[in-house]
Amino acid sequence: MKSHHIFVIAAALVIWAAVTGATAQQQINSGQMATSLAGVSNTQLSLTGAQMRQAVLDNIHNYPGALPPRPLAFPQLENLAQFVVEVDFDFNSAVIRPSSYRTIGAIADALHNPILLGYGFLVIGHTDSVGGREYNVGLSQRRAEAIRDALIDPFNVNPAALEAVGMGEEQLRDPAHPTSGVNRRVQLVNVGKKFCFGRSGEQFVCP
Amino acid sequence: MAERREGGANVNKVTSLVCALWLVLVAVLPVNAQTMSYADAISQLAAACRNDIAKYCKGVPLGPRLKTCFDTNGARMSPQCQQSRGVVYASISRRAAAQRNIGDICSADIARLCGTSHADAHLVECLLGVSPAAMSPQCNQTFTDTGWRTERARQ
Repeated sequence: MKSHHIFVIAAALVIWAAVTGATAQQQINSGQMATSLAGVSNTQLSLTGAQMRQAVLDNIHNYPGALPPRPLAFPQLENLAQFVVEVDFDFNSAVIRPSSYRTIGAIADALHNPILLGYGFLVIGHTDSVGGREYNVGLSQRRAEAIRDALIDPFNVNPAALEAVGMGEEQLRDPAHPTSGVNRRVQLVNVGKKFCFGRSGEQFVCP
Repeated sequence: MAERREGGANVNKVTSLVCALWLVLVAVLPVNAQTMSYADAISQLAAACRNDIAKYCKGVPLGPRLKTCFDTNGARMSPQCQQSRGVVYASISRRAAAQRNIGDICSADIARLCGTSHADAHLVECLLGVSPAAMSPQCNQTFTDTGWRTERARQ
């Protein structure tokens, strides 16, 4: 009953984030992030980051064009607990702007919430359509890694709990306006319980 | 005129007093207060050091290299940035250390309050359920510093 309730909140948050766009997303606080990440549990994702990266390159190879003729879908991810935020980077660079430091700190606070202890997360970067598709895959990969790196140091998130994946422009949020800022975003996805706890509280990969 | 000058002197006195009180608070608070959330800590740094980051650390990624940039150029940065940088990085490392050391510092409390079998599986959940008054002061302070109580309450 309770988990169902939480899932509804998470779904509502995702929809709300999708509708209201970039400005409002900055206001999602760490508690709301933690709530949307905690919506679904006991799900084990079989999809790996390497498989996702390969699928992105395959999509470009199999469906060439200036814009992706068809969006890349990962049905396995769609029902997992997640949220989307906008992070500002320097132009054509993986350097996070100080205006987004707070967002990264809030993501770290959410990932440190005790309800998310022991879970693993995907950090997925998306670009708009400016620039070549393959270039954008590389750029979004470096940006996702920059976020992962900042979450690890200075914000002390367990490195083994995070995997960074660059999606480029293969999943435009607003395909009708491919250069719009709403397409530039970061998606955090809870991929399920990853760590168990030992006798003195130490973490290890669940058997 | 004289009255106005006197009024100005009073305002100055009040300002000095407020400044002195504020300095005392800043000096005393970090000892017993809780650590800042990472969001509050890093946005305080971004606000206090916006110009200094643009001037001395442009293009430096948020992470260990930004801290190195602060350490290298700190003396040339504005006083409010220097002050904020000290407070912010101290809070961040104190929170990290608390999370790292909670198992050791609270081991006696965990054995006494949670019973070993409970604590083995979920140390944090157990401590969240314990009243702060029942915990030893050192364990309670460390648990507060982890930020787990405040983050759990925010959710």
